[in-house]
Amino acid sequence: MTITIGLPSKGRMKEDSSAVLARAGFSVVAVGNDRSYRGRVEGRDDIEIAFLSASEISREIANGTVDFGVTGEDLVREGLAEADARVEFCARLGFGHADVVVAVPEIWLDVDTMADLGDVAADFRARHGRRLTIATKYWRLTQQFFSGNHGIQLYRIVESLGATEGAPASGSADIIVDITSTGSTLTANHLKILSDGVILKSEACLVRARKPEHEGNSVAAEIIERVRKAL
Amino acid sequence: MPLVNLPAFAPDLIADLEKLGTERVDMPVIQPAEPFLDMAGEDLRRRIFMTESETGKSLCLRPEFTIPVCLRHIETATGTPRRYAYLGEVFRQRREGSNEFYQAGIEDLGEPDVARADARAVRDALNVLANRLPGKKLSVVLGDQSVFEAVVAACGLPAGWQKRLVHAFGNQAQLQRLMDDLSDPAPSGVFGPEVERLAILGKLDDETTLIAHIDETMEATGYSTNASRSPADIARRLREKMELANTRLDGRTLALLREFLALELSLAEAPEALAVFADKVGLSLGEALARFESRVTALREAGVDPSGIIYRAAFGRPLDYYTGLVFEITPEGDGLVLAGGGRFDRLLTLLGARERIPAVGFSLWLDRIASVKGAAA
Repeated sequence: MTITIGLPSKGRMKEDSSAVLARAGFSVVAVGNDRSYRGRVEGRDDIEIAFLSASEISREIANGTVDFGVTGEDLVREGLAEADARVEFCARLGFGHADVVVAVPEIWLDVDTMADLGDVAADFRARHGRRLTIATKYWRLTQQFFSGNHGIQLYRIVESLGATEGAPASGSADIIVDITSTGSTLTANHLKILSDGVILKSEACLVRARKPEHEGNSVAAEIIERVRKAL
Repeated sequence: MPLVNLPAFAPDLIADLEKLGTERVDMPVIQPAEPFLDMAGEDLRRRIFMTESETGKSLCLRPEFTIPVCLRHIETATGTPRRYAYLGEVFRQRREGSNEFYQAGIEDLGEPDVARADARAVRDALNVLANRLPGKKLSVVLGDQSVFEAVVAACGLPAGWQKRLVHAFGNQAQLQRLMDDLSDPAPSGVFGPEVERLAILGKLDDETTLIAHIDETMEATGYSTNASRSPADIARRLREKMELANTRLDGRTLALLREFLALELSLAEAPEALAVFADKVGLSLGEALARFESRVTALREAGVDPSGIIYRAAFGRPLDYYTGLVFEITPEGDGLVLAGGGRFDRLLTLLGARERIPAVGFSLWLDRIASVKGAAA
């Protein structure tokens, strides 16, 4: 069987993932021109490369159309319910670092922990006539963290697909759940991360779809082993 | 053609509900999703079936009846008291069992005699079940959030803590965690560097100065025009939090809360036991205890023997519109909930009713009743 690896199709993530694979001895080349969405590994007929957008990669791993993928842990955990049962995080690749965090307006001087936020959320409706709102594109991670880890139920999510950090100042939401790498965008928008508000410390990972046919497959085992050794 | 999952006994069951003097109502299967998410929280989103209208409005398949019945009552403005009965399919993603199943029940809105309405809900749920499951022994567990609220208030705990404890009531793990946390001898509360800076500048000493400072900062950072929480809100809670930072839940209060939460006994003995508990620990549970007792009396008057009901002090529902009674009925020796109900005096106001409408209700799980019936047959 041929093993397919889904790689990011553009930008830094594309370069960094090709570099890791190259160090592992898998030299990725595009089929046809460099804009092509298909690639191969030099000297390996048993490995195919599919260039996909980062969010497609988690989906394609989930439905098993690719065997491996390189993508952010945040996208996998957000995209798939029960991610650990469906995929294996084989290696953390040391790039694409981003933390998914809960951030509130800096001026909320009384709010520095999730417990504080729970207090504020519990009273919010009585004081402001509506629930506390959270702008995010991370529905699943937010729900798991708020309801599962902190027992906070009384909030509403407002979907935000871009410029999430601006939501509290513009009044479209009270707080946000978003990714940050340096925190500078948050600071620029007068937001602060809660002391226990880091939901996930994400980075690019080599992710395998848990497929029964990988059992005893030497190519799959070789990919994992060589990528791990290359780190 | 019979409807999928509709048990054969459904017509008899709805006839029973109507005989209790209720008005039968039917609700559209497709409902606006907002009220459900607003009342139960975002976590519900994973468990309901949602879709969007052409104009982008969130819709869902009816996950339960209480909210639609209450909304209909508010819209039709028919006055109270009223008792509504329903029977229909509900749609929820469940780990076990089908995602679409039938529920029936009664919502009793606006009855001013709270004890009587509570007793009637328990009695009606029991009788309707007994009619469908003749000879089957049933267990009833009853809890009352208002007693816990009274205990917490009588302990003289700070208001902020009372709210936290009451909010966690019904969720054992969370309540346990919270009590451990509040009794941890280390100072509590995390304060950011800005608060420390303000403390050094002496801007925290006086509320007016603090509010003015917050106001200025919000103005300067562009938060003022759209802010939900006002400078006064923030200042007030910051001071509350500072006051609590060095207060800990003392050993005696902790032991007392634990002792209360561990209470589990026959409802017939519960009023006496609660009075003894209150005396022993020197708390006055006044009103809450009186209401609890009058409910037990009302149950006797309604023909329900309270000695057959278990009172469990820690039993509650962690939803912020439940206010008092909660109960569940299961087959004896089995955890399968056949009927669940409770008092939700806050729900109608939250949904937009202009006046406060006390409310109590219960719902029956028809698929579970059918399975118990099937097993017995």
